[in-house]
Amino acid sequence: MADNHADFIVIGAGPGGYACAFRAADLGRKVVLVDPRASLGGVCLNEGCIPSKALLHAAQVLREARHAGDWGLSFAAPKIDLDRLRSKKDGIVAQLTGGLSALAKRRKVQVVRGTARFSDAKTLDVDGKSWSFEHAVIAVGSSPIQLPGWPQDDRIWDSTAALELLSIPKRLAIVGGGIIGLEMATVYAALGSDVTVIELADQIAPGADLEAAGILAAALQDQGVTLHTSTKTARVESNKKQLTLLCEGAFSGTLEADAIIQAVGRRSNAQGVAPEAAGITADERGIIAVDASCQTSVPGIFAIGDVTGNPMLAHRATHQGHVAAEVACGHAAALDTNLIPSVAYTSPELAWVGVSEQQAKAQGLAHAVTSFPWAASGRNLASGGGDGLTKLIYCPDSNRLLGASLVGANAGELLAEACLAIEMGATLEDLALTVHAHPTLSETLAFASERALGTLTDL
Amino acid sequence: MTTFVASPSVRAQARAQGIDLEALAQRLGRSQLTADDLQTGSPASTSNSSDEAARYWDVDHSQYGAVQEEPMSRFAQVAAQNLSAANTLIPQVTHHDRADISALEAFRTELKPEAKARGIKLTALAFQVKALAVALDAFPRFNASLSADGKTLTLKDYRHIGIAVDTPHGLMVPVVRDADQKGLWQIAEEIADLAARAQERKLGPQDMGGASMTITNLGGIGGSAFTPIVNPPEVAILGITRAEISPVWDGNAFQPRPMLPLDLSYDHRVINGAEAARFMVQLAGLLADPRRMLI
Repeated sequence: MADNHADFIVIGAGPGGYACAFRAADLGRKVVLVDPRASLGGVCLNEGCIPSKALLHAAQVLREARHAGDWGLSFAAPKIDLDRLRSKKDGIVAQLTGGLSALAKRRKVQVVRGTARFSDAKTLDVDGKSWSFEHAVIAVGSSPIQLPGWPQDDRIWDSTAALELLSIPKRLAIVGGGIIGLEMATVYAALGSDVTVIELADQIAPGADLEAAGILAAALQDQGVTLHTSTKTARVESNKKQLTLLCEGAFSGTLEADAIIQAVGRRSNAQGVAPEAAGITADERGIIAVDASCQTSVPGIFAIGDVTGNPMLAHRATHQGHVAAEVACGHAAALDTNLIPSVAYTSPELAWVGVSEQQAKAQGLAHAVTSFPWAASGRNLASGGGDGLTKLIYCPDSNRLLGASLVGANAGELLAEACLAIEMGATLEDLALTVHAHPTLSETLAFASERALGTLTDL
Repeated sequence: MTTFVASPSVRAQARAQGIDLEALAQRLGRSQLTADDLQTGSPASTSNSSDEAARYWDVDHSQYGAVQEEPMSRFAQVAAQNLSAANTLIPQVTHHDRADISALEAFRTELKPEAKARGIKLTALAFQVKALAVALDAFPRFNASLSADGKTLTLKDYRHIGIAVDTPHGLMVPVVRDADQKGLWQIAEEIADLAARAQERKLGPQDMGGASMTITNLGGIGGSAFTPIVNPPEVAILGITRAEISPVWDGNAFQPRPMLPLDLSYDHRVINGAEAARFMVQLAGLLADPRRMLI
């Protein structure tokens, strides 16, 4: 006999887990939500998406203040009070996680603080107490990958440590030029660090459109960030004075740094719940295979979010969370789309969804490309925006939108129009004939469409 | 990449209703599906999963006594979908007739020693296949297929006859090609080979599909009539049950005659009733006097 019984138990209170728990509660289930953290929200709220956005906002204010002279506005050089910045960020996080606790309470979701592990396919162990369950959802997320062979040194940070804002290192090396590495580069460069990013792939933001990533690369370089692509960090050495990175590849040599951020990707935390005890096999990367309805190979046990593999993004996890809750409640639900948007909240932002030009070429997909440069956008220039681009990939037979890449201010917000357009099967004509407000950045989607259709009068 | 687009809400609604959008898009010849299209995609015709009515049938049978559950094989599920679609989408009529097979049976009995010598079982079915193939000659609309949009009728110059074969893993329909050009011995031999391979599940794609019409013969089992379902894209199917000695008036007296029941189901969009009646008269004539198959 188990110590406790849960009708519906969710392991992990990140954006996937709490969404799943709340949806199941709304569908009438008695829900238990287990997480080792003191506050709900997982990595996303506590040490990921949200705190990084707070710091990126501060970085943006700093940059704008520095450029205010161009507009005839002069301020004294900004003073950075790291403690106040940190507490502002922590306050935002506390507000949001507190809000989540209130939402959980309102839904009568029982929050249990602890670490859950499967004992068998019908029982979980939560810090020594056994829980039987009707349905269980694995939503334990992922952790930053620690590269092997690196020295133990508290000047080597992962993204979590980087967001703690311990200090502003004079020289900061970031290993990994993906979304997280580039966001940290944006923050610390604005705070005054001399930042170098080392990326193994031949472009920053691997997976993003090459041309759009190139515009971001140029902007980062303008902000004083050094970028080394096609470069491997072979070894790291530490001594009292500094850290030394030995690099191989396009950049070959040594780099000295006062701190290093490791941002080479994330690894599933699935092993932590002992899925094999329940009869679920995770692969060598810790990924649990699920079908479109988020069911694992064991009836009654679901998996959502980062433990189910790439893309490891909060919004995918949230949708999967709803699907798992609904399927467990007998509804026909599935995550039946591959359309998961990606956004780097850098300055400028880089955002993409659907098929990229490079992917279309690699897959031999019939496609055509159109774009609109933001240098021709009135709103962009009037807002002090730099270089930017809206690029659309479409089917040349039907003119249906297949993918979009945007780089520029608020690109992450603008991307939603492309997501909706693709899901709705919209054509370039649909985008062009939809009246967009002027002057806006969103016009660039309509302009790019008009350009392909030969109806553009703004270029 | 999917060949059609449907918005997220349409996809969710289709899933809830058990509608296969891919099949619906194909059936409607559309590249984009809307919520309105789901009205025409009745679950019976596009999917075997439960719609509202089917869900109502999904009662807990064990409350009435012991039961056992058995999964429907993939093969059976596909067959079920096709049958549902055929029965829902095609307006079908079944026409009944009988053929006097006294002469045919006498001829078949006469050939038995030769059949034995050749090592071939000369079944009534071989005669029926031949007769049907010959009958199609004069009735091209029975050897046709209607396009999905209903705008084009494809008339076939070949006469291939499908034969419904009952196997442990389900119904299979191998095809005797160019049956009009083959002799009875060859047809009988091919039927035996196809039926044997169907039982062993060793039929290849070249053995199935492309029939002009299908024969489903239950004569070996029993029955006096039934209403077969047209096997699309064919437009007609011939059902046959067991011949029975019946009194037939010869003008002076009732004569005991072996009468073979024939049940023709046809797609009324392509074939009208008078045509069907004429076709059956012709077919019954060929079966009554096999010599006519030569003419």
